[in-house]
Amino acid sequence: MPVGFIAAYSVGAVGIFPTDAGVLSLEDWRRFLGGGSIYLGLFWKSVRISLTVSVVVVVLAYPVGYFLALCVRKRKYVFLLLIIAPFLTSYLLRVLAWKVILGDSGVLNTFLVWGGVRSPGDPVTWLLHSQFAVMLVLAYVWVPFVALPIFVSLDNLDRSLLEAAGDLGASRWRTFLRVTLPFSVPGVVAAFVFVFIPTIGEFVTPLLVGGTSGYMYGNAINDLFTRGLDWQTGSVLALFLLGVVAGLMAIFGRFVQLRSVAA
Amino acid sequence: MSEVTSSRGARALLGGFFGALVLFLYLPIAILAIFSFNDGDVSFPLQGFTTEWYRRFLSNPLLVTALERSAIVALISSVIAVALGVLASFVLVRRRFLGRSAVSALLFSPLVVPYLVFGISLLVVFTAFDRFLIDVTGYTIPLGLHAVVIGHVVVSLPYTVLTIMPLLERLSIGLEEAAQDLGAGPWQRFRRVTLPLLTPALVSSFLIAFTLSFDEYAIASFLSGTQATWPVYLFAQLRVPSQLPQVVAVSSVILLASLLLVLAAEVARQVAARRYGSGFAPRTIA
Repeated sequence: MPVGFIAAYSVGAVGIFPTDAGVLSLEDWRRFLGGGSIYLGLFWKSVRISLTVSVVVVVLAYPVGYFLALCVRKRKYVFLLLIIAPFLTSYLLRVLAWKVILGDSGVLNTFLVWGGVRSPGDPVTWLLHSQFAVMLVLAYVWVPFVALPIFVSLDNLDRSLLEAAGDLGASRWRTFLRVTLPFSVPGVVAAFVFVFIPTIGEFVTPLLVGGTSGYMYGNAINDLFTRGLDWQTGSVLALFLLGVVAGLMAIFGRFVQLRSVAA
Repeated sequence: MSEVTSSRGARALLGGFFGALVLFLYLPIAILAIFSFNDGDVSFPLQGFTTEWYRRFLSNPLLVTALERSAIVALISSVIAVALGVLASFVLVRRRFLGRSAVSALLFSPLVVPYLVFGISLLVVFTAFDRFLIDVTGYTIPLGLHAVVIGHVVVSLPYTVLTIMPLLERLSIGLEEAAQDLGAGPWQRFRRVTLPLLTPALVSSFLIAFTLSFDEYAIASFLSGTQATWPVYLFAQLRVPSQLPQVVAVSSVILLASLLLVLAAEVARQVAARRYGSGFAPRTIA
């Protein structure tokens, strides 16, 4: 099985070029990395979107992980499952739900009209087909996934450390800042990486709710393969993305315990 | 204990935040479900109760075919992924060999490779292979469900291994040694001792792989060719407003079904925990 995977990869790197021009050339790479390429700009825009989403998601999930791991005494796994279950349901459907909510005649705009905030012919159009929509939906989709590694790192925290800090006269706030927070850093970093990687390569959500301003790097790759049929440029973009991901894993790999994903 | 971590006020605040997040997570899903019974298009105000959309999707052959395809792909790929998962777990847990960490890194790499990149590399591989076949034999195997199955096996394999491996690690090797002393051969040992003990992990890893495959869009969109699976079909329909109510109806059924599946996986885990004592069963939430 792994052999198949290696093959896929080596061919992904090598076999692409012969199918096209038949000559191995770095021309596309030069064009991509050199100035003036629209793709590099698109890449940084995607990085910005992904970073924002990752930060927001971690900030949202941390209090929940803290609450479940350290405040709830009974049935904490049931509550955890409640948070995680949506992640295991259809991704497309959850995006579709937001399309229904955010659209021009969608749920939110309808309520705004009912409440007299907006007149009927004047919906809030930036709700859908915008960067805001992409970020909101991505955050919605990934919050359940992130709660898990944070929960695990806090749940494994040795409680006696907290009691010791309390006995030594530290306030709860100080205990949190000096003991709990530092101990949960690996979980937070893991969570961060596990949101950043899939969202940077995202193309489905921007396609559905992003419009033109929410167009991301992943969309460019997708379009080059499915519409533009410029596989060579597409592969360059894809390999660049893979390189970035590999770099991230090399830096943060030690924080990311695979076990915490399926723990 | 919890007095150290939070004051009463802070606990109430955190609890409230937790409740708000749960609401945020489930409200959109609930809205989707409500619209599936709405006698009109997918927008407010609601226009009365109907089960028309549910009836209509059952008589839509394209939609039913897509669902069947996805069910078949999910079934085949998860069976293969579980079988290979058992194999890989055994190799990783019981054998020490050169390059063991390289193998496990490779095995788990689909967890961190964007599906988009993975999908297009497979697309390129299959296309190159197809060219090669035409050149050599004159025959061609166009893209289709077999390619999707292969892609889904690779991406669900890390999840099955991560579910099976912890259980296997905690299984006492003594049990197998005892079976050996009693005269059981290697195959009999595996079939009569190890496999039954692994069953809970097998069930839950199967369910995880199945849900993952059934719902997977990115890889399937590149590899399914003309044989659109359910997510690919769904995605295409999202652009046709008149189809939306039907799609929403099917979606609600599937959301409910997948929530039930998740619960089933969790129950399997609980059964395992009860059977082998707490702290023994692996947690299998993917």
